[in-house]
Amino acid sequence: MSELVILVVEDEPEVRAEIVRDLATFTQRIRIDEAESVDDAEAAIADAVESGDRIGLAVVDHRLPGRTGVDLLVALHDDPATRAIRTVLITGQAGHQDTIRAINEAGLDHYIAKPWDPDELVAVAKRLLTDHVVESDLDPLAYVPELDAARLLDHYGEGGSVE
Amino acid sequence: MNGTVARIGAVVATVWFIGVLAIGPQGDLDAPASRMLAVFGAAVVLWITEAIPLWATSILVIIAQVLLISDEAVVGLPAGFEPPPYESIFATLAHPVLMLFLGGFVLADAAAKYRLDRNLAGVMLRPFGTSPAAIIAGLMAITALLSMFVSNTATTAAMMAVVLPVAARLDEGDRLRIALVLSVPVAANVGGVGTPVGSPPNAIVLGRLSEQGEGIDFLRWMIMALPVALVVLVLAWLVLVRMYRSTTASIEVRLGGEFDRGRPAIILYVVFALTVLGWVTEPLHQVPAAIVGFGAVVALTSLRVFTVDDLRRVKWHILWLVGGGIALGNGVSDTGLDTWIIDRIDWSTMPTIVFTVALGLIAIVLSTVISNSATANLIAPIGIGIAVSGVVDVSPLLAGLIIATACSFAMALPVSTPPNAVAYASGWIATRDLAMVGVVVGTIGIATVLFVAAPLWSTLGLL
Repeated sequence: MSELVILVVEDEPEVRAEIVRDLATFTQRIRIDEAESVDDAEAAIADAVESGDRIGLAVVDHRLPGRTGVDLLVALHDDPATRAIRTVLITGQAGHQDTIRAINEAGLDHYIAKPWDPDELVAVAKRLLTDHVVESDLDPLAYVPELDAARLLDHYGEGGSVE
Repeated sequence: MNGTVARIGAVVATVWFIGVLAIGPQGDLDAPASRMLAVFGAAVVLWITEAIPLWATSILVIIAQVLLISDEAVVGLPAGFEPPPYESIFATLAHPVLMLFLGGFVLADAAAKYRLDRNLAGVMLRPFGTSPAAIIAGLMAITALLSMFVSNTATTAAMMAVVLPVAARLDEGDRLRIALVLSVPVAANVGGVGTPVGSPPNAIVLGRLSEQGEGIDFLRWMIMALPVALVVLVLAWLVLVRMYRSTTASIEVRLGGEFDRGRPAIILYVVFALTVLGWVTEPLHQVPAAIVGFGAVVALTSLRVFTVDDLRRVKWHILWLVGGGIALGNGVSDTGLDTWIIDRIDWSTMPTIVFTVALGLIAIVLSTVISNSATANLIAPIGIGIAVSGVVDVSPLLAGLIIATACSFAMALPVSTPPNAVAYASGWIATRDLAMVGVVVGTIGIATVLFVAAPLWSTLGLL
């Protein structure tokens, strides 16, 4: 069965582990993939696509070795196959220009400054993953316990279900 | 339904359709009836296996009837058979019952848009206090009331959004959680039988009855079906509070908010109230419920309460599903296929009670595994046809009510009906919980209809 995936892109192992730990609340039905660079992230996305899984949310640090996080976000936005992925930029070091580029050229969904508040990260991830499930026509009922139940149930009610 | 079943369904339906057409008339099965047998059998298989979407089967039935048994049939029909005009087959998609349902859909969607449903629920829940048993009674009463006018699925979705956070705050081992999560879909399923617009099987049955000249008005349906729903609700409540005893003394459920006082919302409240009033007072003014319902659509659209975006969200696929069922029933009866099928069985030795129990059981078992509406589409033409033919001493109305209620009372599995799927999605109930409660409530429901309501209806001269 295909899985919904959160992709965490962060080069510092401790920081990455912290993000993954904060997002662990979703892992009953949603998988977390980790990457430490843009190349690594693109390989993870290719892997997921190959096994029929679907990346719903990318949580990306800006300053990475090689290409930047914003470069990745722009690339995701430009490719129709990955445009539905919801994006969070989580960073302390993105300058004004980078941030503007992320918003204008990558349709950034949310910006979180480091150090982050875990509750905020979870709330944002929940909202964006729910957006993704609703807009990508995934089975809304599959994610009721973890995501925004009220919105998922409403969406199910409006869909093609037949009594 | 999974892919394999769907593929098998597509093959079986195609083979049946072509095979029966190729064999053609046999003995007392004449050409029109044999063509209809090809359509009917294929529709049965497609509706059961969901090889194509349920509503696609409905419009497939319509075009098959146009091409095979109408005055525009591609191969000529024998002299002596009066083929129905093809316009009349297409017209089932605008059958009065569908216009009534469209009125129900538009009112329900508009009510959801202005949060009338949730706010009313909040007002009604307040007097029930905070004891778990009372809260469950309150939730069930409100859910059932809403599901009489709003689809069971939408009602469940709205109420479950309130119930889930409450259930989440309970202790891990508190079985009240199961009772809470089950109370909503059970009440929605049962409440749906209360009015003609409560659930699609009601419309399918009403459509078939009216085509047979046995139609009943909105109020008469409520007088007959609502007491059944109330009795079953009370018993279901008892089952839930007995089976899942709570370890919590009091719970708080927050529901609803400020009523919208804007102009469009006020118009909606007035139109909603007037429409329901119009529906239940038909004996006084003789304006059919379909006209009243369609009037509500006209009022809400022309007063700009219901916009073109809202109109796009109307569940047209449900209307098609019902329309195809009505077309199928007409085809089966116009071609005499119903008579041919009825003649296959020796009815003289069959006691009435065996027929009514069998009808209820077949409907409830089939509807447990496939959609309630598809079940009604399949069973209504033959079930009501048998009653109309007079081979058993059962009124068509009773046969229709048995079918409609049995379809709604089938709720033993997550797949039985969307409200169950919603409850199951919470992750807090096991299939076993649903099966146990579903079988008990379903049995209570169908037994109430067969052994309590039916004799009472008969005594009161309602049948």
